[in-house]
Amino acid sequence: MKLLLSLLLTLAASAQVRHEDVAQSPGTDWLTYAGSYNGWRYSPLSQINAATAKNIVPKWVYHVPGARGLRSSPLVYQGVLYITSGNSIHAVDARSGRLVWQYADPRAKEAGPNRGAAIWADKVYFTTSDNYLTALNRHTGAVIFSKKFADVEKGTTSTSAPVIAKGKVIVGSAGGDGGMRGFVMALSADTGAELWKAYTVPAKGEKGAETWGNLLEWGGGAAWLSGTYDPELNTLFWTTGNPWPDYNGSVRMGDNLYTCSLLALDLDTGKMKWYFQFTPHDTHDWDAQSWPILVDTEINGLPRKAVLHANRNGFFYALDRVTGEFLRATQLIDKITWAKGIDDKGRPLMLPNSEPTPQGNWVCPSVKGATNWMGQSYNPGTGLLYVLTLEQCGMYYRSSQEPQPMKNFSGGGATEEGGQVILRAFDPKTGKRVWEYPMTGLGRMWTGTVSTAGNVLFSGDDDGHFVALDAKTGKNLWHFNIGETLGASPITYSVDGKQYVAIASASAVYSFGLFEPASGVEAPVIQFKTN
Amino acid sequence: MRALFPLAILALPLLAQHGRYLSDSNNPAIGDPVAIAAGTKLFMGSCAGCHGPDGGGGARGPNLVRRSLWHPLSDDAIFQVVRKGVPGTDMPPTKLADDQTWNLVAFIHSLTGPASSNPVPGDPAVGKAVFWGAKAGCGNCHAIRGQGGSMGPDLSNVGGSRPLAVIREGIVEPAKDLYYLGNEAATVVFKNGQTLRGVAKNRSNYSIQLVDTTGVLHLLQMNDVKSLTLSASTPMPTDFATRLSKAELRDLLAYLAAQDTRAADAKGSPQ
Ligand code: HEC
Ligand code: HEC
Repeated sequence: MKLLLSLLLTLAASAQVRHEDVAQSPGTDWLTYAGSYNGWRYSPLSQINAATAKNIVPKWVYHVPGARGLRSSPLVYQGVLYITSGNSIHAVDARSGRLVWQYADPRAKEAGPNRGAAIWADKVYFTTSDNYLTALNRHTGAVIFSKKFADVEKGTTSTSAPVIAKGKVIVGSAGGDGGMRGFVMALSADTGAELWKAYTVPAKGEKGAETWGNLLEWGGGAAWLSGTYDPELNTLFWTTGNPWPDYNGSVRMGDNLYTCSLLALDLDTGKMKWYFQFTPHDTHDWDAQSWPILVDTEINGLPRKAVLHANRNGFFYALDRVTGEFLRATQLIDKITWAKGIDDKGRPLMLPNSEPTPQGNWVCPSVKGATNWMGQSYNPGTGLLYVLTLEQCGMYYRSSQEPQPMKNFSGGGATEEGGQVILRAFDPKTGKRVWEYPMTGLGRMWTGTVSTAGNVLFSGDDDGHFVALDAKTGKNLWHFNIGETLGASPITYSVDGKQYVAIASASAVYSFGLFEPASGVEAPVIQFKTN
Repeated sequence: MRALFPLAILALPLLAQHGRYLSDSNNPAIGDPVAIAAGTKLFMGSCAGCHGPDGGGGARGPNLVRRSLWHPLSDDAIFQVVRKGVPGTDMPPTKLADDQTWNLVAFIHSLTGPASSNPVPGDPAVGKAVFWGAKAGCGNCHAIRGQGGSMGPDLSNVGGSRPLAVIREGIVEPAKDLYYLGNEAATVVFKNGQTLRGVAKNRSNYSIQLVDTTGVLHLLQMNDVKSLTLSASTPMPTDFATRLSKAELRDLLAYLAAQDTRAADAKGSPQ
């Protein structure tokens, strides 16, 4: 114990988060939204494993003041856990759950959710809903800078966790359902200054503009989920959202590039290396916001640097991440009524009568999609990719009302009914399902997964349980009823040689670990001194 | 034991009130220097007798700034109070025209709203030199945008989050009641003989989260602690009312009023 303590003291004094640290993450810490640049949400920790999972108990709960629908996945560095809520960030002792500091920006002009923080050198970063990148001293919470990077007046808000690579803070843009022009941006980690900005919808006259009508300027293509990064290729992989107006495609004839796509961007310049569009001319609000997961594996018998992507439109894609070449698509879910498959170029083979109509059209998957932004996990040990899927259909309506940007009008609407969440394990080599874990609930969750070298897969379920499954077989090992809708993805970390698994519920952060008999704490000797 | 608990509660209304000033009323008088000046005049004539010339309280009426900490009112609610009075108390109704009443509301808003959103006398550039100079030594304990010490609260957004009168009180009457858990100067002696000094950002009977004098965070468990010594009063020096001249204090306040994380990009704040 003594030894550990002095260790902790010296470590804390010297530590700065460097590029190498994030590139090697996660170890005992969890340094970026998905745990690692490749988007795996996988941890080498194995103290909690398929054999010991039966001894998992809650260690602490931190109630985030005022929080109602947390979407945030925490970061952990040097024993401190950082969790964001709308326009606020909280630093919590990762062993005890005690608050260290918090920072709130109550004057923000929007009150949206927030998906998480980023950490670099000795600063933690998060964005406010109205597009300020705020950097704080990680020890004290003191403000280093707070810099506006986009105008909320132009329909853009911010919800995603920044990703930091080589001193560049990559942020995206939300708001695509109300008319805006999506972008991905790089800001300096030292000053917040803009380094580059890559629009996801071309400007008039640019290549790709011919795939639109007149709504180019408000075309959407929001980038509201963080992306992944390949240090070797120096390439960012970022997904884009739906074209606007969402449900009325007649006013924007064409493919509507680069919406519902995956973009490969050069980290240094923001230049697009390639793009791949999953859903050309989308009319079902099927944003491509789910993780582009970077895996080197064999596909169709050839070794590939692949990027895997489970899309909201119902298909599970594999692309070559060097060239953007389409390699394969399989069905993510069973019920798909709008396309009968994906052709060998990667375009959907459309089925008739799938468009939204004034009376409503019944289409599968529903507007929520076959999956969504829920954190997926790739486990190199089992070689499986874990995806929360939703078997659900819904009604899609179209209105021909003249679309006006930022009037909260999306050219129609959609409702979803019933449905079931099923956690599925896929083999990236074949694109086929290996096992599945059906859940009870109302299809309302947005929670995700984390998997470990201990062969455990942690996930939230659709009625408020936190569960541990055997990562090889999908067999349930343990569950805990949190009793609130889960809308964020779990992480795992270790302090003092003890492994923890943490997840945000709607209102609080829960941290779990293995059972240990309690040892009483002596009443501290406290003196008060007048200075 | 000092009254830590009630003071912790004070922090809540402070937080709650920030949101209020921006989203409240669209009346053009709010934030308008001409309206505020007209309101000041009216206030001097009809209200200062009870509430004091700066709303700081008098024999027959409460300090309006402090009151807003525990009874925050929207602009519309202030309008109604001024018009109808507070029945059953000395606060009388008035018969002023709407625009006159709004001028008064604008003045009260300027007293109780964040310092950065109101005109403040003094020279921020001179105040900056006072803040970072040796005589006051504020920067030894407080940080602004990454510069300065960590023994006191970060002041990067003090103008964007506190009324001017509250900032002034924090400087000249620090012991008054702004002393709450999270700012205790602490010395920890460990069972292994090591010693650590700093600020306890939080503590319980089981753990303590301490930022040391060099600004480094330590997460400690009380089982490792032999003894803990805490400052019995605020670590913030209590003699600034006399140590600084009137002009120095005024300029210092102008500098602090300009510290606003949101104004910086629009106007460029003196740093
Ligand atoms: C005769 C003394 C007197 C005068 C004159 C007076 N007030 Fe008051 N005012 C009071 C008292 C006493 C209260 C506290 C009432 C209570 O106990 O709730 C008060 C309360 C208030 C409040 C706070 C109300 C609340 O609900 O928190 C405001 C705002 C206020 N006064 C504004 C004014 C303005 C503006 C004027 C001038 C037009 C004015 N007052 C004139 C005595 C006075
Ligand atoms: C020895 C360290 C120290 C010095 C020097 C110091 N302060 Fe403080 N100050 C503190 C501490 C600790 C607190 C918090 C405790 C409290 O509020 O009583 C504080 C509180 C404050 C507050 C209230 C903060 C809030 O959040 O409302 C203000 C304003 C302030 N100081 C300004 C100043 C200014 C201006 C100077 C220089 C003239 C100064 N301080 C010098 C330690 C210091």
